[in-house]
Amino acid sequence: MMQDILTLNHVTVRKQKSLLLSGIDLCVAQNDFVGVIGPNGAGKTTLLNVIGGFEKFTGDLFLFGKTETWRRSRRTRLRVGYVPQHLQIDPGFPILAVEAVITGAIGRVGLFRKTGKPERKEALRLMDMMRVAHLADRPLGQLSGGEKQKVSLARAILQKPDILLLDEPTANLDIAVQKEVLNLIDEISEREDLTILYVTHDFNMLPSRMGRAVMLKDSVKYFDGGIREALTGDMLSRLFEYPLETFERNGRRFVSYG
Amino acid sequence: MVEQILEALTYPPIQRAVLACILCGASCALLSVFVVLMRMPLIGVSMSHAAFAGAVVGMLLDVNPFLSGFILCLLTAAVLGPLSDRTDIAPENLLGILLSFLMGIAFLGMGILTKTKAGALNLMWGSLLTLSGGDLAVLAIVTGILAGFVILFFKEIRAVLFNRRLAASGGVPERLIYYALLFLTGAVVSSNLATVGGLLIFALLVQPGATAMQLTYNLKSFFCISTASGILACVLGLVVSYFFDIPSGASVILVSTLLFTLAFVFSPKRRTTTLKKRKPSYENESR
Repeated sequence: MMQDILTLNHVTVRKQKSLLLSGIDLCVAQNDFVGVIGPNGAGKTTLLNVIGGFEKFTGDLFLFGKTETWRRSRRTRLRVGYVPQHLQIDPGFPILAVEAVITGAIGRVGLFRKTGKPERKEALRLMDMMRVAHLADRPLGQLSGGEKQKVSLARAILQKPDILLLDEPTANLDIAVQKEVLNLIDEISEREDLTILYVTHDFNMLPSRMGRAVMLKDSVKYFDGGIREALTGDMLSRLFEYPLETFERNGRRFVSYG
Repeated sequence: MVEQILEALTYPPIQRAVLACILCGASCALLSVFVVLMRMPLIGVSMSHAAFAGAVVGMLLDVNPFLSGFILCLLTAAVLGPLSDRTDIAPENLLGILLSFLMGIAFLGMGILTKTKAGALNLMWGSLLTLSGGDLAVLAIVTGILAGFVILFFKEIRAVLFNRRLAASGGVPERLIYYALLFLTGAVVSSNLATVGGLLIFALLVQPGATAMQLTYNLKSFFCISTASGILACVLGLVVSYFFDIPSGASVILVSTLLFTLAFVFSPKRRTTTLKKRKPSYENESR
C-alpha cells in the first residue's frame, strides 16, 4: 500500500469576492502521476499554487504527513518542485542556461555556502538528460521557448523534489516541441522517484505515464479517477460544455473537437 | 589639467568630495543592478521622492533630514512591498498616485518653509562639494552594508533576480532578500540626498545598471561594470563641474548618460542578437 504524501481537506481559496477553489478534497499517493484537467478559470493553477505554497487558503493541507499553510520551511519547499507555464526572461538578462539550472540547488546548499563543482556536474547531467547540455553556456534569454522549458525542467529536478508541479508546461510550444517535452516528462517520471501533478487543458497532449485525472470545473472537483474513465466523450463534453467525441487509434485515445 | 587636478586634490574639501563621489557612485550603481534587472524603476523613483519629501518635512520640523527621509522611505517600502506581491492590481497606477502624493508633500513643505529655501533646494539637486563629515560617514556605512549584502548573498540574489517565484519554490528566502533590498534602497536613496539630490538620483539608479546590461551576460561582471560606471560618472562629473563651474549633480547625470550612450552604441550584445535574427533557425521559430 502506497503512502499518501499529499492530502487536501476541504481546501478553499477566495480572492476579493470570487471563489477560486471551493471545498477541494484530494489524496495523492507516492509516485502518482496526476493530470489536473479543466477549462480556463476552473481553478487548476490555483490548486497548483496552493500545493506549491504560493497562495493563501482555508481548509487543511497535509504534505509528507505534516499540516502546512502557504508559509513553508525551507526543507518543505525543497521537496516540492515547480515548473511554470512560461519562463519569462529578458533576452539580455545576465544568466547562462547552466547557471539557471544551478539556481535549483541554491536552497539545498543553504545560506553562506557556495555552489560548486558537484552542483555543476549534476546540473550538466540533467541538462544532458533534457537534451540541452550543448546550450549550457548560452545566455538563457536567447534560448527558444522549448529550450527554456527543458532548462526549467532540469532546474526543478536538480532541486531533488518528491513532488513535481507542472503548470501547462507545453503551452505556447509548437507541436513537435510539445511532443518532445512530453516524452522528457515521461522519462523523468520513469527515472526519478517522483509524484507529479500536471495541469493542462489539452487532452490530446498528455504524458503516457499519466494514470489519473482530477477534473475541475467552476472551482470544484468534478471528477477524480483513472485517465481512461476521464477521457470519454460524454465526460469531456460535460466538463467543457462543448460537444466532444473520442476515438482510438493505435491503442491511444484521441479527442475530436467535432 | 592633470596638475590642476592634483593640486585641487590637496585641499580637504575636494578630497571629501572625491570620496563622496566614489561612495555615491558605488551605492547607487549597486542598487541600479536590482532596479534594472527586477524591472522596478518606478519603485526607485518613488523611493527617491519619498526621501526628498521626508527630508523637506524634516527641515520643517527641525529633524535631521537624513533620518526623516529614511523613515518616509521605509514607510513607502512598507506600502510597496506587499503591493508588488499582489497580482490582482496594477502596481503602476498606485505607484503613480504615491509618487505624485509624495511630490505634493515635498512642494507643500517647500512652500511652508519660512527659513531659507537653499537647504531644501540642495536636497533636490545635491552638492558634492559641500558635504559634512557626518553625511560622508552615513554614506560610507550604507555603501558598506549594501556591498556586504551583495557579496554574502550573491547566489540567493542571482536566484531572486532570475525569478522570484522559482527562487521561493526552491527554498531560497526570497521574501527576506526582497525586503532587505527595499530597506537598502531606502537607505541608499536617503543618504544620497546630500550628494546628487532627490531628483537626479533617479538617473544613477537606472543608468549604471542599464549600461552594464549592454555589455555582459555574467552577473558578477554586471555588478562590477555597473559599479565602475557609476563611480566613473560621479568622479568625471565632479571634475567637469569643478573646471566649468556648473552644478555637480547635473554634470554627474550628463556624464552618466554619456557612458550609457557609449555602451549602447558599442554593445556587443546587441550585435549578436541582430546577427541571430538575420539567420532564423528552426529553434528560433518556436520562440
